[in-house]
Amino acid sequence: MLLADDDTAITEQLGPLLERSGFDVRTAHDGTAALAAATGAPAPDLVVLDVLMPHMDGREVLRRIRADGAWIPVILLTQVGESTERAMALEEGADDYLNKPFDPYELIARMRALLRRSRTGLPPLASSRVLRAGALRVDRTARRAWLADRELVLTPKAGALLDYLVTHPDELLSRERLMEVLWGWESASTTRAVDNRVAELRRALGDDPAAPAWIETVTGEGYRFVPRVEAER
Amino acid sequence: MTGQDGTPPDEFPGGTPPGTAPAEGAGRPLALHELPPPVPRPRTAPASPSPAGKPPVARRARISRRAVPYAVALGVWGAAVAVTGVFASDYRVYLRFAPVLAVAVLGPLVAAGFGVRLLFTRRVVEARAQVAAEAAAEHHRFLRRLDHELKNPLTAIRLGLANVSASGRLDAQGDGTVRSVEEQVARLTRITGDLRKLADVESRPLERLPVDVGVLLEDAGETARELPGGAERDVSVSVPRVPWPLPTVAGDPDLLELALENLVGNALKYSGPGSRIELRAFEEDGYVVVEVADTGHGIRADELPYVWGELVRGSDARGTPGSGLGLALVHAVVDRHGGRCEIRSRPESGTVVRLRLPSA
Repeated sequence: MLLADDDTAITEQLGPLLERSGFDVRTAHDGTAALAAATGAPAPDLVVLDVLMPHMDGREVLRRIRADGAWIPVILLTQVGESTERAMALEEGADDYLNKPFDPYELIARMRALLRRSRTGLPPLASSRVLRAGALRVDRTARRAWLADRELVLTPKAGALLDYLVTHPDELLSRERLMEVLWGWESASTTRAVDNRVAELRRALGDDPAAPAWIETVTGEGYRFVPRVEAER
Repeated sequence: MTGQDGTPPDEFPGGTPPGTAPAEGAGRPLALHELPPPVPRPRTAPASPSPAGKPPVARRARISRRAVPYAVALGVWGAAVAVTGVFASDYRVYLRFAPVLAVAVLGPLVAAGFGVRLLFTRRVVEARAQVAAEAAAEHHRFLRRLDHELKNPLTAIRLGLANVSASGRLDAQGDGTVRSVEEQVARLTRITGDLRKLADVESRPLERLPVDVGVLLEDAGETARELPGGAERDVSVSVPRVPWPLPTVAGDPDLLELALENLVGNALKYSGPGSRIELRAFEEDGYVVVEVADTGHGIRADELPYVWGELVRGSDARGTPGSGLGLALVHAVVDRHGGRCEIRSRPESGTVVRLRLPSA
């Protein structure tokens, strides 16, 4: 895998940690080096990309990797918490993102989840505009969702939550991670805001929390989106 | 955000959070009636004040400004007629008509002077608003730079600790030390997270949904009972339903909930077991007023004006964990909703925080 960050203090620590977890790590310290390493041969299985780098920023590198064709999973280390920045990161085709400072084991968990998905040979979910899960159809670019023929009416946050859930199916998503995804921060006291949005989604999907077909609560840990998700061509 | 890397850090403008009284009021606790109006957002054009909030001074200046040229012209004409008419005849007639002449000449001059003064005052008000908006914008940029500069070192430290732990070469004491350092890193991480939260609240586009404040208060009451210490406090929520329910507030339900959570968290943290906490809401003059009151140990009078600032901790609060950003966050949320925050406190008796939110 490729790790791109201009801060050597970070790469010097993260590299060995990832290697100890079984990854074969190459590092790059600026945008052009990162792009060369990502598009050259042998191609990395996954790229962890910092956004602010000299010569070319991470988002530009990501754009060019995507333009190059082959879909390599990319995790963006976004530098700012503003929701528009995050939305842009996802629209440009990042598979996931993580705010600094992050828990290294969280990063490793997300990397493993992405590799699990890419090794199945199935098309990556992040690149698909329309996703299907049973009777649910989500148009990600239009930000609309339908259950059978009925369109779901959701608040913007619930919509963003649904988008994240369908692109990360069958993954244990902690409340803190969902807080970070939806608001860009973790709540100091409770993550009730996430619970409220999940409740709203469950109501809209007609899900029974006691016997969930859509969103499962993993007690003490978080939530999991249960159904299989496919990209619609 | 553009311009972040390579921008040399500028001087932090005096530590005054946006929205609080400027330096000349320092040292005196803010009375309820003399809170400054919300500072205009950095993104809005400071040059043109919004039509809804135009102060009476500006309106009178408008009328006087338009009237001034006519008044002057009329006065000059009247004066010219009077003077020629009068000087054409005897000087004694001039004396008799002196009062009329005085009015005809001095009147428009006074009106013009009045108009100019009002115009000047209006310009001063606009200039002040512009300065305040620029200070708020700079403050916001500072928060972003601070967040930016702290993130990488914190990440590197966290990674280093993980490496040391994973190396397996530590004895029990070493492990203990690493854990202790990890706790401090977690604390710093929370602070940077809160700073990011704050900067985000100040700049993100606000959702405008009809929010039922009563429901928010009930939820906050629930949260209070669930948080540490909640079971040992007497928490009560009072929301009027008679003769009619509270009007809704147009805003972001998650941000308002976050603000309430912070206030409730403070009430719990800074009060002892057996204390009472009351959450109240009522309608007043087109506003929905929310109050969070506790019988905790209160805030000293000399510290009260500064509570809304970032990283401000009361000297009596030093023993309790907290980042000092809760009230700053509450203030930012209420400010974005076009509302106001007020706080009253008596040491050893308690504190009440009042949020005034415009109803939809």
